[in-house]
Amino acid sequence: MTTTKDHGLSERLFWGLGSVLVVVYALIPVFWIISLSLKRSADLGDGRFISATVSLEHYQAVFSDPQFPAALWNSIGIAGISTLAAVMLGMFAAYAIVRLEFPGRRLILATALAIAMFPPISIIGPLFNMWRVLGLYDTWFGLILTYMTFTLPLAIWILSAFFRSIPWDLEKAARIDGATPLQAFIKVIVPLAAPGVFTAAILVFMFAWNDFVFAISLTSTNDARTVPAAIAFFTGSSRFEQPTGSIAAASVVVTLPIIIVVLLFQRRIVAGLTTGAVKE
Amino acid sequence: MAEIKLSNISKHFAATIAVEEASFTISDGEFFILVGPSGCGKSTLLNMIVGLEQPTTGEISVDGQVVNELDPKDRNMAMVFQSYALYPHMSVRENMAFPLRLAKLSQQEIDKRVTRAAVVLELEDLLNRKPRALSGGQRQRVAMGRAIVREPKAFLLDEPLSNLDAKLRVQMRTEIARLQRRLGTTTVYVTHDQTEAMTLGDRIAVLYKGRLLQIGTPRELYECPANLFVAGFIGSPTMNFLPARCKDSNLELPLGSMRLSETMSQQVELSEGPVIAAFRPEHLRIVGEKNSPCDGVQFEAQVELVEWLGADLFIYFYATTEGFEAMELPENLDITTRDKDRQLLVARIDPATGIGEGGTVNLCMDVRRLLFFDSSTGERFRQDKSNVISIRHQ
Repeated sequence: MTTTKDHGLSERLFWGLGSVLVVVYALIPVFWIISLSLKRSADLGDGRFISATVSLEHYQAVFSDPQFPAALWNSIGIAGISTLAAVMLGMFAAYAIVRLEFPGRRLILATALAIAMFPPISIIGPLFNMWRVLGLYDTWFGLILTYMTFTLPLAIWILSAFFRSIPWDLEKAARIDGATPLQAFIKVIVPLAAPGVFTAAILVFMFAWNDFVFAISLTSTNDARTVPAAIAFFTGSSRFEQPTGSIAAASVVVTLPIIIVVLLFQRRIVAGLTTGAVKE
Repeated sequence: MAEIKLSNISKHFAATIAVEEASFTISDGEFFILVGPSGCGKSTLLNMIVGLEQPTTGEISVDGQVVNELDPKDRNMAMVFQSYALYPHMSVRENMAFPLRLAKLSQQEIDKRVTRAAVVLELEDLLNRKPRALSGGQRQRVAMGRAIVREPKAFLLDEPLSNLDAKLRVQMRTEIARLQRRLGTTTVYVTHDQTEAMTLGDRIAVLYKGRLLQIGTPRELYECPANLFVAGFIGSPTMNFLPARCKDSNLELPLGSMRLSETMSQQVELSEGPVIAAFRPEHLRIVGEKNSPCDGVQFEAQVELVEWLGADLFIYFYATTEGFEAMELPENLDITTRDKDRQLLVARIDPATGIGEGGTVNLCMDVRRLLFFDSSTGERFRQDKSNVISIRHQ
């Protein structure tokens, strides 16, 4: 008895400590940035983990600079639209791949994965030239299109895994119950795939939101420059000053929506939503 | 209410033939069973009737109207799946109302029908639960409820009971039979369980490897199986099979020999393959002092195994088949013919006899009930009044 009890305790201790370690490791940089963003310019170099004084001067500075609110708007618009488009298209593509028999569906999945694995940096040059010729350079659409080439495969993969886990009998039952194929899809399949849709949406949104490489290469003005790219153009208040505080404040501002989105959608990712549909 | 007619229905998948040239008519209000081992094409046949799959060739008509091209949603048939296929994001009430909502019935009518079905199936207290909060038997009833609220032309049930435990299965079996009789709706029921088929069906169609072997009432299938597969598949425990040898009009079995009737011996002589004789376990009885003397083939058997079921006693014993050709029985019958020189047989006897394993008994076989099959085709030889004229004792 005692040995198993000890065993249980040490095991709990191991996992507990491990979790704490991982969380601390992951959150220290985040805390450091928050702390920096709240310091006065004069205290930036004081090396203190927790700021002695709290000031919002960097946040004021960031928002008074016209390029940041514009970049924020660009980021929200571009990431939002690419997420919506990728998930919608991905849903139909994944459904077709899972449910329909047609030649080359494995090929489509494999190609999609191959594209998602392509190193983005290798296509920047050609894209830059193409987008300039096509007039897509420095436009929302230009970035959305670029992001979708990477996020659509991701969405298709995640969603096809989810669709595959939904028993086909449900769809057949709906068809026999009098539903058209579209009604069966919308009323039965989509509600059940909701956790998958949200998972895909979060990942796709994060890809677009956090992207720096495409944003810096394919934009030149406030028309389409997103936050990660805009931060790179921050300058200090004088040429002898690093824009550390502003960058920290801007980083906090762009990280917040991601955290909110994840927390919001996480509730929707209810595990075991499909339990009870069919006998396992 | 509908009469469903299948004419020359075949279904081919890429390289395999799932159903071959099936033709039969399910009459209005009939409880029709499709039975066979897994992979025999029975579910494919059901899917074609409901419209989930298209027949490669042939015609399906309902009440005289060809429905081959009709979408499943327009066929007005209800199906109960083996997996139940309840919509997990909907409550029991919503599940049952779903087909009615799609049919755009008024809310009042929907409520009326759902309540009525819930009362019939004793689901009133569960209407607001989600399927995941239901037991297996309750889920099964909800699936039935979703089928009956529509008042469909036909019910199609695809192994609806195979996910339930044994006791619940028997209980639901009775409930389904009662419900069908009460509603009088044409029902097609797919199962691999011959007991379910025998107890539920008005008529049964036996399928094997995509081919329709025989259609008939449970009694017809049991007493006059058309071929070896049906003989072995229907009935539990399975029929006993023995190799037979025929010379002139004399038929020799490992248990004894007999003289065949003229029609039978003519048929046997015309056939090419060896003959297989078959009889049911209940056509053997113990010969004792109190019983009437044996008017069939009498033999001594050493009991290998005893199964006591309360009302019945099954005794298993071996018959020596040395010198006879090895039998070739259809696959999927679970009858061992591996032993070269002996064949396991079973007899159903009165449990009061109190015979134990290893004991010896004198058994009497009722030769009038013997059936003979042509082992090359598997078909049964047609029979006059009696196959056998006289017995020759060993």
